[in-house]
Amino acid sequence: MGVSHKARILAAARKQAVDKLPFCARIDVWYNYHSGHGTLPEKYKDWNMVEILRDQGAGAQVRHLRIWRVEYDNLEVTTQEDPPYKTTEWRTPVGTVSLRTVFRPEEGPWIVYEVDHPFKSKEDYPAIEYIFENTRIVPDLSEYRQKEEMAGEDGMVMTGMDLYSPMQQIMRYWLGYERFFYELRDHPAQVERLYELQKEIAKKKLEILGESTVEIPLLCANWSDEFHTPVFAKYFVPWLREASDYLHSKGKVTQVHADGEMKRLIPLFLETGVDVAEAWSPAPMTSVTTAELRKTWGDRVTIWGGIPAVLFEPQYSEEEFDAYIKSLFKEIAPGNNFIVGMGDNLPFDGRIERVGRVAELIDKYGRVPMEI
Amino acid sequence: MVNCSAVRQAVIEGDEERTVALVREALEQNVNPAEIVASGLQAGMITVGDKFSSGEFFIPDMLFAARAVTRALDVLRPRLSDSDTITMGRVVIGTVASDIHDIGKNLVGMFLEGVGFEVLDLGTDVSAERFVAAVKEYRPDILGMSSLLTTTMSSMEATIQTLESAGSRHQVKVIIGGAPVTQHFADRIGADGYGADGGAAIKLCRKLMGR
Repeated sequence: MGVSHKARILAAARKQAVDKLPFCARIDVWYNYHSGHGTLPEKYKDWNMVEILRDQGAGAQVRHLRIWRVEYDNLEVTTQEDPPYKTTEWRTPVGTVSLRTVFRPEEGPWIVYEVDHPFKSKEDYPAIEYIFENTRIVPDLSEYRQKEEMAGEDGMVMTGMDLYSPMQQIMRYWLGYERFFYELRDHPAQVERLYELQKEIAKKKLEILGESTVEIPLLCANWSDEFHTPVFAKYFVPWLREASDYLHSKGKVTQVHADGEMKRLIPLFLETGVDVAEAWSPAPMTSVTTAELRKTWGDRVTIWGGIPAVLFEPQYSEEEFDAYIKSLFKEIAPGNNFIVGMGDNLPFDGRIERVGRVAELIDKYGRVPMEI
Repeated sequence: MVNCSAVRQAVIEGDEERTVALVREALEQNVNPAEIVASGLQAGMITVGDKFSSGEFFIPDMLFAARAVTRALDVLRPRLSDSDTITMGRVVIGTVASDIHDIGKNLVGMFLEGVGFEVLDLGTDVSAERFVAAVKEYRPDILGMSSLLTTTMSSMEATIQTLESAGSRHQVKVIIGGAPVTQHFADRIGADGYGADGGAAIKLCRKLMGR
């Protein structure tokens, strides 16, 4: 029996030798859209994502963001569903805050998007502090186990800390980006207090991950250098370093989902101790090429990605697609510490056959060490 | 004596309090309000946009500068006469149908207001028909569409086609932006311009207005 996709992915993530380039694709935007609209190709009706990717010859990414759940003490949480919207209200003895989110996986994206954040004004600090102080993190691996079984040796379940590191959680979820930057300037002590409380919550998640069987825990996701660089050194690097050191001590390697514009974060990234940058999206979707990234990072970080999602769309011809993949192979030769994937997802109008084409080209040119 | 370059510098530094204080001082010294807007506030915001596009500045720098300009304009507005033109042009913006992402669109709107554009924000999940109705009703110089998703990019093309069918395409310049959008895509769907970021959007809109 040959080497499995999962074994190759794990080897590359651990900076070990591989026989050929690992390939682990992500197609949930495409899959959700076509499942929701009844437009999956006839052959793939009633197939799951792993089965489709197996058919295309690719390893599979199965997303399941967390192996824990949040519970609260001493406060009341209510939710009101108005599909696709949902309003969550936290009623505490020191105030009430509410969050409005939207979730429309049938349109492709499968993550919840915040349309109205809990923090509305500085009067909300006491309630949010109270919520953080009364948050409990409880292990919850049942769904993860199902996904793990579904992926088998054909791929990886992408799971870990959730989408955001502690300060990112405050930026993105509780305050929203614009308010976050205004508040950090206008009321830094209050924001710092929230950050310290979020770190304590995050440590509980880390402990659960440390004791789990998750091989490559995801520490956070969705950076973009124009937003995050000003706060990265102060709030992201120390946390990611602490989290990576802890998980390394538990025999794991760590990853982040790095699909945004990374140009000014690339040098800072090396200080985090994170092992894998997943969903790497080079030009034309960002301003950096894979060759430039490899030049800065060398072998210190395993890169996972390298194929911009737009390349899968019909606006690019088959010849342009093949030429891009071959040029990527030249950029990453001899092929160490690299997992081929997309940055970050097969678009809804992307061609699924091109996933198979990547697998064919890897079979042809991707024996490591590559000579192309 | 306060000069407009001091106001401009305060905007570049994103110093809201100093910007407002300098504007008040300039008004007390009878500096022409329209001059304060053009050579102080708008000039500062244009520099901030340039620094953002060149990679020197980040989103918070743009936010602080835009907030300083907004507060200063609150002080200036009662002193501006009807003949004082502070508007560079009118822009209608929105996130296209089925897409509810608004961060990029909001920032672009804020930055455009900072440099003197009048911005009408239609919000998110805006249908082609609503965009066309807004073009007919508000007669903007520029229509800006945002999309974060590959699933919704096609709505940009549909909106341009709907504008053409309604006979309104010639009335307005169409610009597009958003993470998956590229110049290649803009050219293919017949948009008049593509902005990769907030700074680029400022430059593009000024260029389209001949500024």
